[in-house]
Amino acid sequence: MSRPGARAGNTGRGIGVALTLLWSVIPIYWAVKTSFQTDADARANPAQYVPLRPTLENYRTLLTADSDVPGQIRRAALNIVVECGAATVVTVLLATLAGYAFARMRFRGRNVLFYAVLATMAFPPYTTLIPLYRIMSLLGLVNTYTGIVLVYVSGFLPLATWVLHNYFSSLPESIEEAGLVDGAKRLQVLWHLLLPLARPGIISTALITFLFAWGQFLFPLVLSSDLSTQPLTVVIASLQGRHVVPASLLNAAGVLAIIVPAVLALAFNRYIVNGLLAGSTR
Amino acid sequence: MSLTRSATPGPGLTAEARPTAPVRRRGRRFDPLPYLLVAPVAIFIVGLALIPAVFTVVQSFFKVNPLDPPTRFTGLGNFRALLADDAVIGSLGNTAFYVVVGVTLSTVLGIAMAVLLQRPFRGRSLVIAVLILPWALPGVVEGILWTGIFDPNAGLINSIVTQVGQIFGTGAGGTTLLLGQNRLLTISLIELVQVWQITPLSVLLILAALQLIPGELYEAAEIDGCTRWGAFRRITLPLARPGIAVCMVQAVIATLNVFDQPYVLNGAAATGSSITMQTYFISFQDLDFGQGYALSLMITVVTLIISLVVVRTIYRRVEL
Repeated sequence: MSRPGARAGNTGRGIGVALTLLWSVIPIYWAVKTSFQTDADARANPAQYVPLRPTLENYRTLLTADSDVPGQIRRAALNIVVECGAATVVTVLLATLAGYAFARMRFRGRNVLFYAVLATMAFPPYTTLIPLYRIMSLLGLVNTYTGIVLVYVSGFLPLATWVLHNYFSSLPESIEEAGLVDGAKRLQVLWHLLLPLARPGIISTALITFLFAWGQFLFPLVLSSDLSTQPLTVVIASLQGRHVVPASLLNAAGVLAIIVPAVLALAFNRYIVNGLLAGSTR
Repeated sequence: MSLTRSATPGPGLTAEARPTAPVRRRGRRFDPLPYLLVAPVAIFIVGLALIPAVFTVVQSFFKVNPLDPPTRFTGLGNFRALLADDAVIGSLGNTAFYVVVGVTLSTVLGIAMAVLLQRPFRGRSLVIAVLILPWALPGVVEGILWTGIFDPNAGLINSIVTQVGQIFGTGAGGTTLLLGQNRLLTISLIELVQVWQITPLSVLLILAALQLIPGELYEAAEIDGCTRWGAFRRITLPLARPGIAVCMVQAVIATLNVFDQPYVLNGAAATGSSITMQTYFISFQDLDFGQGYALSLMITVVTLIISLVVVRTIYRRVEL
């Protein structure tokens, strides 16, 4: 297979792949590079394309310093982990139960309920921003973990239910029937037979929910009024506006905010790709 | 969807699945179990999605402002006030630009990258893993990352421009590219950052459609003397239409509702503000919730209409 056309095609694809990779990583590289520089080096003109005198000082400051900004960042990092973790656990748990029922059980009102859940996926993300704020404010849940988690869960449940419904539907029915014949209860069948089989779907759903929650900005900006609940995204955006924070430190904080989603995306990309495709083929 | 199937660890069913007689569903007795299982989701959806959505629709016809009580009916008053507001009109223009440029660019790039990845090669899954990174990161932080690229002094772009200028002896530094310099440049750079974020999902959606195209079609086309470009036009594009339609819809939703990128890159400045940013300012700085509701409703309706038009024109059910 050494037709000239094929070789030219391979070279072309090599160039295309290289450009794709560069396009995807250059902005990330630039922030990582800046985070390993002193502020003077980071502001040098023309820029240093690699950190000539790499330093861990920014990370040391962020993780250990007692001063104002590092303390805020650490608190915000804790907040984002708590909020995204809780939202993911609740979403996946509730969506698993409902997804199973919608896929496998017959009951009055099933279709109406299911379509109502799916219909909310058609809403653009911020349709309900103001009413949700006012509901949370009525319930006294503004600036609480509970308020933010409730809003996240309500936002991510439709997609999660849909993905898990599809996953349960794809499992052969004979498994459950065998279990039921053996005298097991529905929930035992779900727990012992179906959940292990549905694990890839559950992992996909959990990862996508977590990444969506981690990226939220406008909802927490509105729903959390101070540092006690503001996630990393909100605090970093507020620091960026003030020019008192050195660029190198801000970039180190940015790297802290992307390291978790980046590692998840790289390590579990198959689950994420599958979940995204299962969720968007309507 | 072979991409999906090949990547999913295949459930090892055969061992447990032994053929049995169909299970008799329990008689006519009422079974509360399914209702218990779906109840939490139903409560969330009704309480925190459907009822709030109804609120948005109804209250957009009311004056709702904690600084100007009581809440009272104003008919189309909110909509009239919005359309007379220069900041809102400006943001409509910006958002139209974001939608047109963002949807076009992310779709074209999505098709190009998906075609690049269509045939298996060594390292393809690694390329896909790296490719989805921009999708996985928070939009706000991406704003920070790109601020470093656009920085007038130490940014990547301006450093390269300056050094190239020095090498060729032209006016060095005179051509600094600055976010906020003028409106067109500002909204272009903002949308570039958003395209960076939304393109990965476009690639995945289109790639999934491409994986369904049988290789024999391309072989037959080659035998018939069809060029690569011809095969792309006559085989790839038409058969990828379902994927392209879904990718365009997600791009329409993302760009019409953009908030993070213009907010972080350009602040409250009118040069780049989007409709969603105006909704935020009107509702949470002016506390005019009524107008905020009206603007949210308008964004929602426009998003739904454009998505529907895209689906009607692009989507074709593909039978193979």
